[in-house]
Amino acid sequence: MIQRKFGKVAALTVAAGLISGFISAPVHAASNTIIVWADETRGPNLQQVIAAKGDWVPGYTIKIVPFSSFDALNAAFGNATALTGPDIVVGANDWVATGAKNGKLAPVTLSSSVRANFTANNFFDLSYKGVLYGVPLDVNNVAMLYNSKLTGKPGTLAQMVSFYLKNKTADKLTAGLCVAGGGMSWGAESVLNALGGAPYVMTATGSVDPTADPVPAATVAANIKTYLLDKNGKSNGFFPATDTGCKTAFLAGTVPYAIIGNWEWQDYVKAGFDMNNLMPLPGLYHGTYGAAFASVSGAMLTTFAAQHGVDQGAKSLLNNFFGSAAGAVAYQNVELRPPANKKAQKDASVTTAQKNFGKAGAVAGLPQIGAILNGATGSKSFWDLLPAFWTDVLVNGKDPQTSAAAMDAFFKTNITAGIPQL
Amino acid sequence: MKKWVKEDLWRHIVLLVTCFFVLFPIYLVFLSALSPTGSLQVTSFIPKTISFNNFHLLFHSPKIPYLIWMKNSIVIAGLVAVLSVVIGAASAFSFSRLRFRGKKQGLQLLLLVQMFPAILSLSAVYVIMERVYNFAPHIGLGTEPGLLLVYLGGAMGVNIWLLKGFVDSIPIELDEAAKVDGASAVQTYWLIFVPLAAPILAVVSLLSFIGTFNEFILARLFLVDQNSRTIAVGLQSFISGQYATNWGPFAAGSIIASIPLVAIFLSLQRYIISGLTAGSVKG
Amino acid sequence: MEKLFQRKVTVTLKYITVALVSAILLLLIESSFAKREYAISAFLTVGLIAIAITYLTNFSIPMKFFLPGMFFLFAFVVGPILYTIAMSGFHYQTGNYISKPESITQILAGGIRPDAAQTTFDIIIGEDPAKNLEILASDPTNKKYFLATATTKTDLDPAGLAIDGNGDATVAPGFTPLTPSQQAAEDKALATTRFAYSSDYFITIEGGNVASLKEQSLKYDSSTDTFTNVLTHAVYRDNGTGNFANIKDKNDQLQPGWRAPIWFENYAKLFTDPQIRSALIPVFIWTIVFASLTVLTQFALGLLIAMTLNRKLHGRRIYRSILILPYAMPSIMSILIWGGMFDTEFGAINHLFGTHVHWFQSALYARLAVIIVNLWLGFPYFYLICSGALQAIPAELSEAAAIDGASSRQIFRKITLPLLLQVVAPLLVASFAFNFNNFNIIYLLTGGGPQNTLGGAVAGSTDILISYTYKIAFSAGNQNLGLASAISVVIFVIIASISLYGIRRSKVLDSFK
Repeated sequence: MIQRKFGKVAALTVAAGLISGFISAPVHAASNTIIVWADETRGPNLQQVIAAKGDWVPGYTIKIVPFSSFDALNAAFGNATALTGPDIVVGANDWVATGAKNGKLAPVTLSSSVRANFTANNFFDLSYKGVLYGVPLDVNNVAMLYNSKLTGKPGTLAQMVSFYLKNKTADKLTAGLCVAGGGMSWGAESVLNALGGAPYVMTATGSVDPTADPVPAATVAANIKTYLLDKNGKSNGFFPATDTGCKTAFLAGTVPYAIIGNWEWQDYVKAGFDMNNLMPLPGLYHGTYGAAFASVSGAMLTTFAAQHGVDQGAKSLLNNFFGSAAGAVAYQNVELRPPANKKAQKDASVTTAQKNFGKAGAVAGLPQIGAILNGATGSKSFWDLLPAFWTDVLVNGKDPQTSAAAMDAFFKTNITAGIPQL
Repeated sequence: MKKWVKEDLWRHIVLLVTCFFVLFPIYLVFLSALSPTGSLQVTSFIPKTISFNNFHLLFHSPKIPYLIWMKNSIVIAGLVAVLSVVIGAASAFSFSRLRFRGKKQGLQLLLLVQMFPAILSLSAVYVIMERVYNFAPHIGLGTEPGLLLVYLGGAMGVNIWLLKGFVDSIPIELDEAAKVDGASAVQTYWLIFVPLAAPILAVVSLLSFIGTFNEFILARLFLVDQNSRTIAVGLQSFISGQYATNWGPFAAGSIIASIPLVAIFLSLQRYIISGLTAGSVKG
Repeated sequence: MEKLFQRKVTVTLKYITVALVSAILLLLIESSFAKREYAISAFLTVGLIAIAITYLTNFSIPMKFFLPGMFFLFAFVVGPILYTIAMSGFHYQTGNYISKPESITQILAGGIRPDAAQTTFDIIIGEDPAKNLEILASDPTNKKYFLATATTKTDLDPAGLAIDGNGDATVAPGFTPLTPSQQAAEDKALATTRFAYSSDYFITIEGGNVASLKEQSLKYDSSTDTFTNVLTHAVYRDNGTGNFANIKDKNDQLQPGWRAPIWFENYAKLFTDPQIRSALIPVFIWTIVFASLTVLTQFALGLLIAMTLNRKLHGRRIYRSILILPYAMPSIMSILIWGGMFDTEFGAINHLFGTHVHWFQSALYARLAVIIVNLWLGFPYFYLICSGALQAIPAELSEAAAIDGASSRQIFRKITLPLLLQVVAPLLVASFAFNFNNFNIIYLLTGGGPQNTLGGAVAGSTDILISYTYKIAFSAGNQNLGLASAISVVIFVIIASISLYGIRRSKVLDSFK
C-alpha cells in the first residue's frame, strides 16, 4: 500500500518538477543595467528625469529604485549585499564613513571638469580618510525665517529676545524662536553657535582646530542666562527645548522667528511667506551670525557595481549625469533643493529661496564632520548631547555653566578621536 | 428614576470619560487631515479653515498610488489571515488533542520562540530572502510572495493561546465518539473541530489581518517598488523622510485605511466577543 | 456509496496537493543547488523528505498537523534566531562587517591611490590591432596624447592627430574605438585592467571617457597573510579581532576589517564593561515595570468597561462601537498622533488642561505618557476578552451569592474575579511577553528619550531592552551588531525564564498532559 502511494506521488512529482523547470528558469538581471537606490523624494524625481532623458551613459540602461522612506533606504542599504544591492546609492554625507568602513562604498576619481563644478568642502563631506566616495548632489542647510507680519528684520539675538518678551502677551506668542526643520541637534546647532559654542572650531584654512575650546562654558552660560532664562533661572519661553509643532505654530503666526530647512521652503511659500525674509540666525552683535551646518547629499558608488559588472557604467553615470551641470540642472528643476553643483547654482531656473539658503550657508556655514559629530567610543554623539543640553538648561533648570562644561568635555573627546580619521 | 441614578449613572460617567479618552486623539487626526497645513499640533480645537486637499492628494497625485497600496494590503493581509489560521488551527488541535512525546516541551518552545526580540533577526531574514532571490527571484527579497512567506513564519505560534483555549473547550466526548465510529485524527479534525471552531477561527484571522495590515518594518524592506507597497509602508513614507514630514496626507490616508477595519469590527462585534472567549471558559 | 466517493475525492486532492508542493520544493532545491545556496538547498531537502514521510505514511499523526507551520517557523523564526546567536560570537560592528576574503579584496582596491596631483585624462576606449584593450588618452591642458594597453604605452605626436573642440584626440593609428554596447559588455575587464603609464604609476578607467593616474600603495602576501605598504614599508598582520594592524602600532589598522570570531567576548563585555552594565540594569528594571504596568492598566480598564457594559444600558451599542475604535485604527498612526499631543508648547494635552508639563523632557512624565498611550491602544482587547468571559460566567453563581447576602463587591472579589482570572491568565502572560518586546511604541513615541546624555547616561529613560538593543545595533555612526546580538540572547534567556516560571506556576500547561 505505502509503496504504491510512493510510486504515484513520485511520478507526479518528477513530472511536475520537470514541467515547472521549463516554465520558470531563474531570471537574470540584464548585466548592463545600472541600479540606483534613492529615497522617497529623490527617487521618484530621479525617475522622472531619467525617463525624460535616459541616455546619459551609452550602452547601459539606468534603473532608479525609489524607497518608501529615507529610513527604509538606510535600513535596506545597511543590510544589502552584492546579491541584490545597488550600484549607486543616493544618501546622506554621514553614510560615507560607515559605508567605507563596512566595505560597501567604493572610491571614485572624478574627471577634472566634474571636479571643477564643486567646492572642496563638498568633496570633504563625501570623503573618508581623504578618499572620495561619491558626487555631491544637493545641499542641506537651515536658515532663519522671520514673520514680517509680526516683526521686522532683526539685527541681533538681543533684539529678537526683547521683541518676544515685549509682545508675548499682546500677540499671544507661544515662543520667540523655534526650530522647525532639522531637529534640536542638527537644526539647533546655529543657536548654540550664536550663543558662543560649537561642536568644533574651524581654523582660517578650513581645518578643525584641535586646541580651541568648542564650548567656552562661562561665556555660553552667561549668554544663556541673559537671553534664554528669566531671573529665576527658568526658561523665559523664547526658545523651546523641542521642535515638535514649531512649523505649525510659525505658520499660524504665533512664533515670530523659526529656523527652517531648505527642503521644505515651498510649504512656507504656499502659506504666504516671502523667501526674501530668509537670513542666517543673528548673533550677539550686529553683523555676526550663528553658523549652521551645511552638508551635501551625494550619489555614492558601491562596491557591488564591480561585482555586477557595471563598475565603469556606474562611474560614467556619476561623471556624465550626477556630476555634470546638465544633469544637476535637469534634476534640481524637479527636486527644488539648492544644488551643490556650482554651474547649476548659477542657472536661471534657481529660485529666490534656493539662492537665499545658499547665501545664508555662505555667510555662516559650518561643515558637517561626521567623524567628530558621531562620537568616539565611550563618548557621546553630538546628536544626543545637544538636545540633552537644551533639556537640562531650559527644562530641568540645571546650572548652564555645569551643563555647558559637561558638553564641552564630550566635544573635546570627540574632536581628539575624530581628527585622525579625517 | 432613583434606581436609574443609582445603578446606571456611574456607568454612564465611566463610559463617557473613556469615550472622551478614546475619541480625543481620533478627533485630532481628523483635524489634521482637514487642515491645510496638515500637522499634528493644534493651534485651536475648532478648525478655522477646512480643506480637503490632503484627501484629494491621495487619489490624484501620480506619485501616490493610494488605491493600489490599499489593494496590496488587503491581498497580503487577507492571504496571511487565511493561511495563518489554517496553520495555527492545525497546530492548536494537535497540541490539545493528540498524544505524543515532547508535547509540553514543544508548546513551551513555541511560546519561548515568540519572545525572542525579533528586531535583530531582521538582518537574518533579509540575508535569507536575499539568497532566495538569488535562485528564485519570484519569491525572494522585494516580492510580495516573499513577504507573505516570511509572515507565515509566525503563523504557528501567534494566537496559539486563543485557539488552544477553544479546542480545550470542545468536549472530549465528541472526539471519543468519533473514534468509536472509526474516524482518524485527521477526520476528527476536519469533520468535528473545524465546523465547531468557526467563530474563533474567524476572530483569529481577523486579528492576524489587523496585525499584518499594520506591519511596516519588514514590509518597507521588502516592498520597495512603488506599486507593490502596502498601505502601512505607503503611509509611513509620508512621515519618515530624511527631514520632511507630511502629516496631512498621512492623517487622511490613515483615516481611509481605518475604514475597512472599523467596518469589519463593528459589523462583527458580537461575533468577535463570543469568538474571543467562547473557548476560554471551560463549560 | 456517496461517502466512499467523497473519500476518494479527498484522497486524490491530498495526493495532488502533496505532489504539487513536492514539485515546487524539488524545483527550488534544484535551482538553489545550482546557485550554490547549499544551506537553503539542504533545508528544503529536509522539508521535502519530511513531507514525503509525513503525508505518505502514518509514521506520525501529529506531524501531519504541524509540518506546514513548522516549516515556516524554522525558516523564518528559528533560523534567524540561530543566526543571531551565531553573530553574538563575532566581532561584528561598523568597520568589521564583511568576510575576510572580501575585506582583502577591498583593502587592495583601496590601496590604489590617485597620484598627488589627481591627474585625469580624457580617453576613448578601444582596441589595438591585436584586439587588446587599448585607450587613447588626451591631456588637453598639457597637450599630451598617448595610447596605452596593459603592457605598452605609446606617446603620440600632437601634430599628426585630429583634435576636437575639447582638445581631445579622436583618432590614432591602429586604434579602433569600441562601441558603447561593446564597452558595456567589457565592463568587468575595463574595471580591472591597469593600463601602462610608468614604472610607479598606472592608469585605471573611471567611467566611459575618464581615466586617472594611480599608484598601488598596498601589497598582499597570501603566504604570510600580511599587507605591506610599498611606500612606508609598514607591515600589517591579522590582529585576531578582524583587522590587519601595523605590527609596530596596533592602532594603525587597514580598513575595511572583517567579522572575526571572538567567541564569548561580547557576553563578557556585558558584565565587565561598566558603561554597558550600568545602562542595562535600569533599562531592564524599566522594561519589567513597563510591561507589567501596561498589562495591569489595560486589563483593569478593559475589565471595568466590560463590567459597566455587562447589562442593558441606554446607548450600549454606541459606547461599544466607540470603545473598540483604538483597536481598529492603524497603530503607527495612533502612536504618532499621541506623540504630537504630548508636546509641551504646542501639544493638545497641555492646551486642553492649560498646563505646561514637559512630557517628553522629564523621565517620569515620559514614562507616564508611554503607559497612557499603551493603555489607549490595548484596553479594547481586554475589554473584548473580559466581556466575553463575563458573559460566560453562569449568572446563577452571582445570583445565588446575592441571595446569600453577599454585597456586589464581595461577589466581584470572591466569584467573578477568580473565575475571570482563570480564563485570562494565559492571555495576560502572552500580553506581558508581547509588551516586553513592544518596540513600536517606544520607537515611535519617545524614541527612548529623554536621555540624560550630559550626565553620562547611555540609554534613555523610556528605553526598553529591545529599543536599547536596536540603538546599539543600528544607530548612526557606530553600530555593534555583535554586542546587540549578545544582548538579545541575554534578553531572551531572561524573559524565557520568567515566562517559563510563570507558566509552570500558573499550571497553564497542565491541560496538555
